[in-house]
Amino acid sequence: MKRNLLTIITAAVLVVIFVLLLFVFQVRQSEIAVVTTFGKPTGIAEPGPHLKWPWPIQKVYKFDERIQNFEDKFSENLTADNINLLTSVYVGWRISDPEQFLREFAGGSVSAAQNMLESMLRSSKSATVGKHPLSDFVNVDPKQLQFQQIENEIQQTVQGELQTNNCGIQIEFLGLKQIGLPDSVTQAVFDRMKSERQVLISQAQNYGASEAQKIRADADRRATETIADAEAQATRIRGEGEAEAAKTLPVFQQNPELANFLLRANALQQSLNQKTTLVFDQNQPPFDLFRSLSTNTPAH
Amino acid sequence: MERNVQKTGLVNLATAVVFFIAAFAVTAFVNSLAGQATAIFLGLGTLVTLVSWFQMRLEENQRLEKLEVEELVQRRGETTLFAEQAAEVFPAQRARQQFEKFFVPGFSVLLLLLEGGGAWLLWRWISQSTGGIAPDRAMPALAFFGIFALLLFLVGRFSVTIARLENHRLLRPGASFLLAGAYVCFLTALGIGAVKTEFSQADAYLARALCLLLGLMAGETFVTLLLEIYRPRVKGHVARPLYDSRLVGLLAQPEGLFTTAAQALDYQFGFKVSETWFFQLLQKSLPALLLAQLAVLLLSTCVVFVEPGEQAVLERFGRLVPGRSVLDPGAHFKWPWPMDKVYRYRTDQIQTFDVGFTPDAQSQATQTILWNVAHTGIKEINFLVGNRGTATVTNQTAEGGSPLKAPPVSLIDISIPVQFQITNVLAWAYTNAESSNLLEDLAAREVAHYLAGVDLNLVLSRTRLEAAQQLRQNIQAEANQNGLGVKILFVGVQDIHPPVTVAGDYEQVVAAGQQLIALTNAAAANAIQTNAMAGATAFSAVAAAEAARQQIELSSYARADLFTNQITAYDAAPAVYRQRAYFRMFPAATARARKYIMLTTNTQDVLIFDLEDKIREDLLNLNVPTNSP
Repeated sequence: MKRNLLTIITAAVLVVIFVLLLFVFQVRQSEIAVVTTFGKPTGIAEPGPHLKWPWPIQKVYKFDERIQNFEDKFSENLTADNINLLTSVYVGWRISDPEQFLREFAGGSVSAAQNMLESMLRSSKSATVGKHPLSDFVNVDPKQLQFQQIENEIQQTVQGELQTNNCGIQIEFLGLKQIGLPDSVTQAVFDRMKSERQVLISQAQNYGASEAQKIRADADRRATETIADAEAQATRIRGEGEAEAAKTLPVFQQNPELANFLLRANALQQSLNQKTTLVFDQNQPPFDLFRSLSTNTPAH
Repeated sequence: MERNVQKTGLVNLATAVVFFIAAFAVTAFVNSLAGQATAIFLGLGTLVTLVSWFQMRLEENQRLEKLEVEELVQRRGETTLFAEQAAEVFPAQRARQQFEKFFVPGFSVLLLLLEGGGAWLLWRWISQSTGGIAPDRAMPALAFFGIFALLLFLVGRFSVTIARLENHRLLRPGASFLLAGAYVCFLTALGIGAVKTEFSQADAYLARALCLLLGLMAGETFVTLLLEIYRPRVKGHVARPLYDSRLVGLLAQPEGLFTTAAQALDYQFGFKVSETWFFQLLQKSLPALLLAQLAVLLLSTCVVFVEPGEQAVLERFGRLVPGRSVLDPGAHFKWPWPMDKVYRYRTDQIQTFDVGFTPDAQSQATQTILWNVAHTGIKEINFLVGNRGTATVTNQTAEGGSPLKAPPVSLIDISIPVQFQITNVLAWAYTNAESSNLLEDLAAREVAHYLAGVDLNLVLSRTRLEAAQQLRQNIQAEANQNGLGVKILFVGVQDIHPPVTVAGDYEQVVAAGQQLIALTNAAAANAIQTNAMAGATAFSAVAAAEAARQQIELSSYARADLFTNQITAYDAAPAVYRQRAYFRMFPAATARARKYIMLTTNTQDVLIFDLEDKIREDLLNLNVPTNSP
């Protein structure tokens, strides 16, 4: 009997719990719920505990009331100056009208809402990118960038579409997350970047050779100048020596015959070298001494 | 009494049909994998209950037929008529025999195929399934499966008890399925509850376990069918129906395990272990102990320990608890789940995410990071940066034939770790649904925006530190504007480099700069040498001239002095002096000259001198190279 009582109590507690689960629902602080009765929205439930009739009489659709983040695909568009540009944007959106949201999207499907939002975003983004040149997206002068304006234009277009369609969605913010170039254009940019480096490499290499040649030429010039100066100075010095030597000439004037003889003798001595061939006869002193030898006496 | 068996069987059948349909509907409603397996299990139970109920009816018909025959025998007193033509006189008996002989094995084969096929298909479906339990529908589904479990338990338990009576054996297969179905429904409810409490894989794990159960049931049916071929047929012995699964029976009545275990222990120890107080207590109080365990588990949810570096948000029935909405590190009491729930956040702990790259363990272990070597396992993003250079015409052509220009932008790879702390946990938790994703998006946007407005060469070198500071300020401002409740602690501009494809060219520029310096240094060294040698040459020339001047002057003065003395000597004996001077000079002057002296002057001979120089012999033996064709 005691055991049966325990079983009955346990079963009763379990039944109460399970039944409560069917009749009670909670809405979190971050949520808002739409209650439908036989499919028709009949109320909005704020955060807290609430009662309801069990499924399938009443259904509760809970929605996240916070800002939800959504990022579209990294997609390619043409800028106003005909350059292919890849862009992706992120969007902060929230459910502003839960009942309308439930009506517009089957079962209040967030993914269905995001699919629609993505379509609107792509369309709006494509149109906006096409209005701006690439320099509005990338520019070495930050003041020329139009990031904020482009984001505002896309947001306004999407928000307008949402209001027109009355989807129960509101855009809170939108930002350009990433910009890039398609692979083929990226390769072209790589080639250009390489060519710029090659220009610098060539510049450095040839500037080096040029500078080296200039340095050598300047050195040669200065060396030639130095040597020329030195030679001129040497010539002057020699001239001075000659001038000084010329002061002794009056001494030789005292006996020109002797001076002339000595000069000739000296010149003769200087002019004879190893390849000189001299042919003397016996009358030439000092070879005339050979005439006095008996073996060399002329025949009669 | 027999009527009651049939009624109970019919109630079992109706119950099985209703709960099979209900379980299937709730499963479709909540998208539960375990619910799908449970529905299959209950479906099999429905088939078994139907067949067993049909078999009950056949047995009942046979019993009635037997009674009618006995009554006729008693009235007419003849037995030969019925003894000779049994087949025609006992159609109900024949029908039952035919049913047991052909239909039951056939149905068992069908059951085997359904069990095996169901297990296989369900396993594949679980592997391929990407969806999960719809969060909004988890609680109603939990409640439904809980109610199914309770109702099935009541009906199943009653039927199982009735089935123990004599001649009620055909109730057992269906009753076992109903009772086991109750437990399976309860497990499914627990699995859905676990998913609701963030054990997201509980439903899938339970579904796989139920698949294994179906597989085991298929195996058991196969073995039973195999053994049925060799089973000895003893007249009068009532066979167990082929579709009556022992495994399901054991699952429905786990106390049978206790009995088996007790018998084994008794046999092993030699005395009645099963009659000891501990064993008795364990056997009697096991359900109570399990309930107590559940109660303790529920009570444990009344205490929450918030770890250091964390903060928790306390919600009561979904609403923030006034005055206690944020719990700091330490122990806190709360109402049990599901009334109060806490959500933990790492607030004091520094959190990090990366922009521009995805780090991996291998890259962290790399000691050297080079520009021109792709970082293994890291996916780097090419960011657009400004370029002061002019556009270059490429080989591609546009549709109109006009040349395409490479856009006046450059590309850069950059690794930016961002570290942050949550300063306002309520703002972090309740302003945005995915705050961390939003923060990453904001950071990515600021990085893209900043790089789009700077020059590549500047950001590669001089403005790196400024970039880090600017980015930190910008990300903080955006986070504040979007109410994220975070403080950006650090933004690092690290590992910034041109893409790997062009990085080598950047390094070659540096190498070319070094070559430039090397060339100019070599030229400077050469210039120094040239100038030094020129200075030396100049000095030598001047010195030589000085020496020459000195020599000229001194020799002139010396010759003048000599000549003055020579005049005196000459005046003293002019002829002798001339001769002496001549003969002194002559040997010295002709010493190196070749001399021929003609001593005979009065002969008629003609002397011929060949004064031609002899050419060197080695020059005559030179080998002149020849051009080979």
